[in-house]
Amino acid sequence: MAAKGKHALSLNILAQCSTSKARACLMSLPHAQVDTPVFMPVGTQGTLKGLVPDQLRELDCKIMLGNTYHLGHRPGPELLEQAGGLHKFMSWDRALLTDSGGFQMVSLLELAHITEEGVKFKSPHNGTEMLLTPEKSIEIQNSIGADIIMQLDDVVHSSIEGERLEEAMYRTIRWLDRCIKAHQRPTEQCLFPIVQGGLNSDLRTRCAEELIKRDVGGYAIGGLSGGESKSDFWRMVTLSTDLLPDEKPRYLMGVGFAVDLVVCVALGCDMFDCVFPTRTARFGCALVKTGQLNLKNASFATDFRPIDADCPWPCCKNYTRAYLHVLANTEPAACNILTVHNVAYQLQLMRTMRKSIMEDKFPDFVQQFFNDMFPSGEFPDWAVEALASVNISLR
Amino acid sequence: MKFSVEKVVGGGRLGSILPAGRHENAVIETPMCTLFTKVGSAPHLGYDMLKRVSNIPDIATMSLGGLAPHHENIREFGKGLGEFTALKSNIIFTTLHDASFAITSGKNDRNGVALWGKGGKFKMDPSLYVKVQEAFRPDWFQALSDGDTDKDTGKKRLIKAVNNSLDFLDNTVQLLQKSEVLKNSSLIGAIQGGFDVEERQRSAKETSARPVHGFLIEGFEKGHSGLDLFSLESFSSLLAKTVSCLPENKPRIMETAWSPLQVLRAFKLGIDVFSSVYPYLLTQKGQALITDYTIPPKSASAELEREQSGDCLPPNSGLFIDLTNKSNFEDFRPVLPGCDCYCCSNFTRSYIHHLLNTSELLAYVLLMIHNFHQYFKFFSCLRKSAREGTLDDLQASLELQSS
Repeated sequence: MAAKGKHALSLNILAQCSTSKARACLMSLPHAQVDTPVFMPVGTQGTLKGLVPDQLRELDCKIMLGNTYHLGHRPGPELLEQAGGLHKFMSWDRALLTDSGGFQMVSLLELAHITEEGVKFKSPHNGTEMLLTPEKSIEIQNSIGADIIMQLDDVVHSSIEGERLEEAMYRTIRWLDRCIKAHQRPTEQCLFPIVQGGLNSDLRTRCAEELIKRDVGGYAIGGLSGGESKSDFWRMVTLSTDLLPDEKPRYLMGVGFAVDLVVCVALGCDMFDCVFPTRTARFGCALVKTGQLNLKNASFATDFRPIDADCPWPCCKNYTRAYLHVLANTEPAACNILTVHNVAYQLQLMRTMRKSIMEDKFPDFVQQFFNDMFPSGEFPDWAVEALASVNISLR
Repeated sequence: MKFSVEKVVGGGRLGSILPAGRHENAVIETPMCTLFTKVGSAPHLGYDMLKRVSNIPDIATMSLGGLAPHHENIREFGKGLGEFTALKSNIIFTTLHDASFAITSGKNDRNGVALWGKGGKFKMDPSLYVKVQEAFRPDWFQALSDGDTDKDTGKKRLIKAVNNSLDFLDNTVQLLQKSEVLKNSSLIGAIQGGFDVEERQRSAKETSARPVHGFLIEGFEKGHSGLDLFSLESFSSLLAKTVSCLPENKPRIMETAWSPLQVLRAFKLGIDVFSSVYPYLLTQKGQALITDYTIPPKSASAELEREQSGDCLPPNSGLFIDLTNKSNFEDFRPVLPGCDCYCCSNFTRSYIHHLLNTSELLAYVLLMIHNFHQYFKFFSCLRKSAREGTLDDLQASLELQSS
């Protein structure tokens, strides 16, 4: 095992649920003390969809995401370095996490071609052939300057099996070593490796075992949330958290539906990100404890209640669903209002979970959450199974 | 509502509006602008973002095009448009048309007026109009009127526009006598007549003879056309002759998208109340107001911008910069150095350029805050300047910056 160096991250476990694998921690990063479990809103291009940093601070958001692929193109690493990093550029003084850019390469670009060297792709801007190597990804992420950066991984669709999946898993480990070597700012930015292996327990186990031999500050669980069955999904999550060391944070990538968050916190994950809450806001959807309100729907035209009477955010006290129904169909101001609400909802959900873990009442919270979300009592089978696996039995 | 003129300076009126009803303790100084809204909300700015703008005008203008189709639901709500849109502390002024775009011509007739919103056309006759206003409970409301005219409109059509508007007004006044809900609201008469002096003056005199609390002068450009009215030779004298037929003790309102310099010119012709649609239109184009209102202009940035890009500015445009321009890419200065708005206190031109370049919503949020801030600030500078006798200097300074 490599010697433990000083990382830009430290984790203090404050409480462990006595029933499930859920835990509450304090994660210290260069720009913030982050309470976990945490949901990290996604600010793809150096802005969280119309929100200003002050609004995020008021919501007590401590960490958000930026996307390396997008920021690497526009405004580009040179400008970000000139600006003094992304924090300064976007006027955000709390923590940031950047992904590696690999996921967008593969999901956004049809012509991406993966070799041992890196991901080859045609620039969407001028059509020239470009290559994103592990070294290049880290170089860009070093310029961006986020508190947590991600290794470049070999991303395959979750339905892929066999040789290609195995190749991707081993390549991800080789690329991790190149990323660690290329990382220029280890005391300012914490590099996370990514557990891959698709839906294959054996590959995932081997991958995790390899990763934990490396000296890193935390781990991500990747290759999930890509359309696989929920039954496969939770089994891979719980397998991964079983293998990963307790003293490091576990980041489940791309997960952000409320039900998934609750189940995966129970399975021992600490960090989450997802574009869903902010994207759905732009389509006129507000998140509430009973699910979603599609405010464009005519049924809200005479609904004079606030989006959510319990929402602490001041806008929810001022706007009725009926007015937002009018606005959501016509004006961009509605996107901003709903985006703030949905981020507030996600953060509030995480805070409530955290509080229940601290008080060792997490199973009660889970029961209440499911009762609110599924008033008929018809809980999704996968969630019932997943929770039962960590000793929480829904009634 | 009561309006009184304290002093006339260079033709312009320093006045004050004493609103009636729930705002009776407020005193609103003129010249001033109203808060421009889209479907009842400040453009791009929700309740908590609007709070970050200082000197928000007391009066919020809400055009009916996007809202009138929802009048039955708002009636059911029962507390009026101000409460419905979360702008209840503002004086709500309902107008017919959104000042930021052109109306589709040819849809008005003697029976009614077409309003335009995202959902298309909404036709109103006087009785529907009063019904809608009763649901909305505005503090001020523009009379139903036919403003579908511009510089090319012939005399026959102009006569009709004036006649139709007067007929609508008479019908409305009659209907209002029976309205308990609107008895404290102030009806604003609309002055029509295109570019015909005779019709303008007839409209002004006839409208003044009816029980209205103020005048909205429109019908110059079929909604918003982007035309600089002051570039038309006849406009200034036409406006002066129209205004001369209006009584002194009532405010005159224009909703035209005007730069600070154009506002100053219109103020000198006797206009008291303006729209803030101009900063909205700049925002939509990725542009930011950087006009220097100090006399003489002394900010280094104003000098610098003038030297760098003076040639590209259209005449009488006010002084703004285009943040979509690549030259802002590595410009780490605030939009307007020295500006104390939320945008300039926190962000750089480079960042806003990036946001525009990537079509991010935040670009418009930040530009709207800055442009509102600067435009609202202009009106306090205009009042101060008129009061202190430096109006000509302010005008010279604005002209210098625009040349």
